[in-house]
Amino acid sequence: MSQHSPNSGLAVEVIALTREYTTRSFFGTVSRITKALDGIDFSVKTGELFGLIGPNGAGKTTTVKILTTLLTQTSGEAYILGLDVRKDLYEIRRRIGIVFGGERGLYNRVSALDNLRYFSDLYGVDPVTARDRIPQLLKAVGLADRADERVEKYSRGMKQRLHIAKALVHDPELLVLDEPTIGLDPGGARDIRNMIREMQKQGKTILLTTHYMFEAEELCQRVAVISKGKIVALDTPSELKKLVRDISVIELRTYGATTDYVEVIKRLPNVVRVVADLDSEVQTIRIQSPLGADLLSQVTSALPSDAKIIDRTIKEPTLEDAYLRLVEE
Amino acid sequence: MKSTEQVSHSALGAGARLRMALRVFWGAFLFGRKGLIVWDSWEMWVMQIVITPIAQIGFFALLSIYLQYPSSVTQYIVVGNAIQSMSFAAVFAVANITSQDKWQGTLPSTMVTPANRIALFIGRAWFQVLLSALIAAAGLLYAATIFGVSFATADYLGIAVTVLLTSVAMTGFGLLISAVGLYMRTAMIVANIFLFVTLLLSGVNFPVSVLPAWLQPASWAIPLTYGTQAVRMAIAGSSLTALLPTLGWEALDALLVMGAGYVLFTGFENLSRKTGRFEEY
Amino acid sequence: MGTLSELTPGKKTEGYLARRGQVLKACIVLTARLFFADPQWIIPSIIAPFIFTLVAFFLFGGQTSSPTFLLYLVLGSGLMGMWGTTIYGSSNSIGFDRWNGTMESTLAAPVPLSWIALGRVLFNTFEGVINALFILVIGLAWFQVGFGVVSPGLFLLASVSTFLSLSAFGLLMCTIILLSRKGGFITNSMEIPVYIATGTMFPVSILPIVVLPFAFLLAPTWGIEAIRLSALPGYTGLATNYWTDLAILAAETLAYLGLAFMLFKRVEAYAKRNGTLEEY
Repeated sequence: MSQHSPNSGLAVEVIALTREYTTRSFFGTVSRITKALDGIDFSVKTGELFGLIGPNGAGKTTTVKILTTLLTQTSGEAYILGLDVRKDLYEIRRRIGIVFGGERGLYNRVSALDNLRYFSDLYGVDPVTARDRIPQLLKAVGLADRADERVEKYSRGMKQRLHIAKALVHDPELLVLDEPTIGLDPGGARDIRNMIREMQKQGKTILLTTHYMFEAEELCQRVAVISKGKIVALDTPSELKKLVRDISVIELRTYGATTDYVEVIKRLPNVVRVVADLDSEVQTIRIQSPLGADLLSQVTSALPSDAKIIDRTIKEPTLEDAYLRLVEE
Repeated sequence: MKSTEQVSHSALGAGARLRMALRVFWGAFLFGRKGLIVWDSWEMWVMQIVITPIAQIGFFALLSIYLQYPSSVTQYIVVGNAIQSMSFAAVFAVANITSQDKWQGTLPSTMVTPANRIALFIGRAWFQVLLSALIAAAGLLYAATIFGVSFATADYLGIAVTVLLTSVAMTGFGLLISAVGLYMRTAMIVANIFLFVTLLLSGVNFPVSVLPAWLQPASWAIPLTYGTQAVRMAIAGSSLTALLPTLGWEALDALLVMGAGYVLFTGFENLSRKTGRFEEY
Repeated sequence: MGTLSELTPGKKTEGYLARRGQVLKACIVLTARLFFADPQWIIPSIIAPFIFTLVAFFLFGGQTSSPTFLLYLVLGSGLMGMWGTTIYGSSNSIGFDRWNGTMESTLAAPVPLSWIALGRVLFNTFEGVINALFILVIGLAWFQVGFGVVSPGLFLLASVSTFLSLSAFGLLMCTIILLSRKGGFITNSMEIPVYIATGTMFPVSILPIVVLPFAFLLAPTWGIEAIRLSALPGYTGLATNYWTDLAILAAETLAYLGLAFMLFKRVEAYAKRNGTLEEY
């Protein structure tokens, strides 16, 4: 077993990691090479809860797959708990737990109990230990009373909780959670986040990927922002927010606002960025500007007569604002 | 963005509805070219059109030789299997439509549209009609070139019409089984059994008259039975006119099968809506 | 809900053999559970073999008056049923994970994929044996033939050996699945060529010479010969003797196993390089 020598305090170490994907044509010739990761570097300390955020296609899942030994890198190095992902596959897998987001990853036609027993055996958990641990896990994730039901009958939230139980069945040191709250209702997502906090309190190191900036801000001690295969920023959420400290955020809630109104706001002087959610009955428009409250009168006067502002707030910039600036520049 | 004017579906005239149905059919056909099985590599084509038909014909031909049957019997068996080899593409692959949609999670999205169901599923299956006809034609080519069946007096027009009609009819059977897949977990096992059943009942390896009398009506319910009979007649020199009675029965059988498929489809669609089984695979 | 702090620590199983045995047991049990969870298992296990036997019966036509020939027919059908289930089940054992979305979970386990595949293949082949038994029972009852094999002990040995060789062959086919998402289709297309080459319904001696090397490289060819030698009075087949057939069978089975385990490592590495393993 190879052991990377420096920095035993690091659970994850990534050095100049690159990954290229090759697409082949009908007759097998190479038609396109895509660079999913372009020389990324980061590390995660033991016991840390570390976030990896980025837009779709940024390279988060590719990074996770390499770190969990499901994919090999084209070049660069990656170490998990001091072990090389290229050489020490089975030892790494024994010591990490993985939660893949979404509906897949479970055997739907058997029960939760059967799923956990199966994975417990695959991970080599001593059968006597498993006999105690599995029911405890099911209780901890709130599935004890439905443990004998087929997983196909479970709601999405229940399946996600089972994913967490599955990831913990062999008591891993490092947990990799790939978008664990995606598609869950607010209650279900909150339960998962509480479990994540609890796992960290148990001393587990956690690498979390997520789309939800508030989740990264709430849970993570440090966050890396990845965009187009590169790490564009890496720091604590509060330090990342300082990247946008020069701006304030005006948040409007409106009736009847349209894309035309958003375009008008975008053209106002000193407006840095506008993010709008116009699909709901009540629209939300977030305007980033260094002027802050001074911009309000211009924004209000630009409102069409058939629309109405029902609420306006001046907010401190959030991690999402910092993230948008980082990935869009 | 301009909003599109919505017109009530029921307010459309017959002409407009037909145009919509044709549009659905064509779109489904183009989708069915790629959607059913992975045809995006040359290996799949070779497997379906060369290896599998030759293997199947060869197996039964060798069995006939081992049993020391006269060459006329061997040729009978070869031709029967040449036509039957279309069954995988016509029946199995088509029966997979609903199962595959369920697995991909696209069945609910499909069933919630107002698209004409006949146009939709026939469109998806139509590519398999062409493919299965091609496979049967290839099978007959192998019969002539590898297995020594003589086409000296063959009526090629009769063969072509028979192959195409049988292909359409067997695809109809595939659609019937696919309708079962709307409600049952998977139609594939039923389709698998049906493939075996055609070997037994459709005059592929021995005449229907060899079967017990009580089993023979089942044979004549399968379009392939008429197809194998008609192709043998055409190879022996019967003209298209002489084949018409047999082909007529096959066409009628196909219509009945498709009718039954439509009834089953509608019934199972309603049942799946009641029991929420569109997503179970 | 309970709390994650109250969990019993996760102690691991000690010992290489114990860990591998644990994995095999888990995979056999899961495959069995998934098999019986599908209410239609009765169709490929009972109905399909029955239809197969009927097809063979009508094909054999006037020869069916001979008890020996009937036993030959029934054995051949049973072997085809076993082969078919093994080929389909083995190719599906890994392909199923792709289709089910559990490929990543399976790959992420700290055990070589070959052992997971072996457990599933063992169950699938066992299922094939059950199919063969059903065919045997149905065939014997339908044709009213006594099961008068020449040597029951040797017949059992040959049958068990053939079963193991089919498992090893199934494991080898799993590697084809890993290489390509069309692998399942490829292995399913092998079904009939393998029936031909292993002499399930007719001796390989009638095959064209160009096919014979392929036939002889298939371990079950020798298993089928040994089964017939031990079951059918007066059978001569390839004019080898029973123990020679078993020896060749054993050697080839070991070769399949060695090749399969070697290929699994290479295939895993190849698929991880290309990121294609989860694609369906």
